Amino acid sequence: MIEGFEFKQCTSILKSTGKKAGNLHTLRDMIARVSDDCIFHHTYQYFLKEHILEYTNDFAHWAGESLEERSLAEQLSSIDPYEFDNIKGLRKELLYVVDDYLERFPEPREAMRGDEFFFNETVTLVFPIGLKAKNLAEFLMAIKYVDIGSIYYHFYEARMRVGGGIDDFSKWIEESLGKKGLAERIRAIDPFMHNIENIRKHIEEQIEEELRGDMEAMGVEE
Amino acid sequence: MINQYTGTSPKGDLLLLQRLAGVFHGRSFLHVNSTREGGGVAEILQRMIPILRSLGIDARWEVIKGDEVFFEITKKIHNALQGNKEIITEEMWQHHFEVNRQNAANIDLDADAVLIHDPQPGPLVEFRKKGSWIWRCHIDVSNPFKDVYNALGRYALKYDAVIFSVAKFARAMNMDEFIISPSIDPLSEKNRELTGEEINETVERLGIPLDRPIILQVSRFDKFKDPLGVIKAYRMVKKYNDCVLVLAGSPATDDPEGSMMLKEVKEFAADDPDIIILLLPPFSDRDINALQRVAGVVLQKSLKEGFGLTVAEAMWKGKPVIGGAVGGIPLQIAHGVTGFLVHSIEGTAFRIRQLLNAPEMAKTMGERAREFVRKNFLITRQVRDYLSVWYAIENKGKSIIEL
Repeated sequence: MIEGFEFKQCTSILKSTGKKAGNLHTLRDMIARVSDDCIFHHTYQYFLKEHILEYTNDFAHWAGESLEERSLAEQLSSIDPYEFDNIKGLRKELLYVVDDYLERFPEPREAMRGDEFFFNETVTLVFPIGLKAKNLAEFLMAIKYVDIGSIYYHFYEARMRVGGGIDDFSKWIEESLGKKGLAERIRAIDPFMHNIENIRKHIEEQIEEELRGDMEAMGVEE
Repeated sequence: MINQYTGTSPKGDLLLLQRLAGVFHGRSFLHVNSTREGGGVAEILQRMIPILRSLGIDARWEVIKGDEVFFEITKKIHNALQGNKEIITEEMWQHHFEVNRQNAANIDLDADAVLIHDPQPGPLVEFRKKGSWIWRCHIDVSNPFKDVYNALGRYALKYDAVIFSVAKFARAMNMDEFIISPSIDPLSEKNRELTGEEINETVERLGIPLDRPIILQVSRFDKFKDPLGVIKAYRMVKKYNDCVLVLAGSPATDDPEGSMMLKEVKEFAADDPDIIILLLPPFSDRDINALQRVAGVVLQKSLKEGFGLTVAEAMWKGKPVIGGAVGGIPLQIAHGVTGFLVHSIEGTAFRIRQLLNAPEMAKTMGERAREFVRKNFLITRQVRDYLSVWYAIENKGKSIIEL
């Protein structure tokens, strides 16, 4: 019997660390010292925000918008947190990029008062949303319906929880439905290059294509 | 009651609320502030308490009583937290404490969670009995007058957690500091959909001409809301675009400076018939709703702001808002996307002219603004967050909590 996929969702409540940085030197020192939770929030959880602008983490956003250090913002934005197995590696890369920039531009500007970088963490609440899919068709219906907080939890947050760059969706599709090809196609959707709504759309497309293929194989016409 | 939000509030918010309601069913949650009417805190409590009760939580709202001297002192404290240099003598601090001591004797402080709003009832923590105590600071304390801020710290540190509206208001305090934006209620009289008849009734009764675009600011008559700056901006616009300026505000029982500011605003407006100053009585929510719906451009040109909920209110009605880039306003307005952030009177005038001359752009911005508010600033999200903080305090030390 196939084990169903239980949809969960996460919601994060913001917590301040009370720490802030008004220039790049302080930002660098703080990145070296703040908690793993804090680095996680400002990088991985950036994807939970509906970012309209072009950055991919809070550090890049601040460097670009508040310090107007565009080149640094581009470099920070190109750091893909999903390339790293843990926060330690990500933190090291962030420091490398900032240090390299400071070597070339040792006197960066100060942020305006009130526009400093504020270091935050979150408390995340995870809860089932009362939806369980028993097959791919039900899964498709659910994907169309759930809030973005659910897609974030299973597609983004799962990568750190499950490890190895694997998300909950593709794991279930491969392990419970035995659809390795579809699982691989979903795994190939780059979490770094899309916002959550686009991720939803891409997953929908892949599943619809798979279901069409299944129906054709069974000789069912649309 | 919570079912009324289905279809409006995000699904995930409602689901989590129901889960948390299951956890806290039958437990007591006390809110204390210093005024029943006027101002954003009272408004949100009027709506939030019934929602909490409908979720099965034993929610209560108490208001502390004080004499005129007490409210003069707390107004000074408020202004000092917003950056004004104010002298609070030891005798004044003593009076602040004494009034709270008297209130503690009259209010039942026995609750599983107690949320104290703003500095007026802050010293009540000295009389805590049980439960989780949370201090909710609604004020912009990003640049406070230090003497007063530090003096208040003696109370703040006795709470289990502090909640600020914006991250930049928080300080390194060696205690849990949560960041929760305030919210609006889409079903309240101030925000619900109005019929054309209802809008016309208000407009006719208040004498608002509809033959020209209306520029509106809804706020207390307070120098930090910069009503004089708004009039100056309107005068710059008026040279190019015929328009009407409406300044609408309600008196608050805990703001003795309001009447002085109102007098100054009236004098500054002089005899311009196109500047309409409305001192609306408390509970004029439908009138404010109607005014926001007929406005072409809505302003919140604050110089200091806790959060500036009138911004979200107007955005919910599909209006592009021009707001001062202070306090919580930048969290509501994505510059150039859901409205405009401004830093000067000249900037305000320029953006008003831009919106008056590009109605299509104003419409698109307004639509985006409404959706942004739906996802981020509705009351169900705030109730969810308060209950989450309560739950986080009871699960202290965990950064991921499974429900």
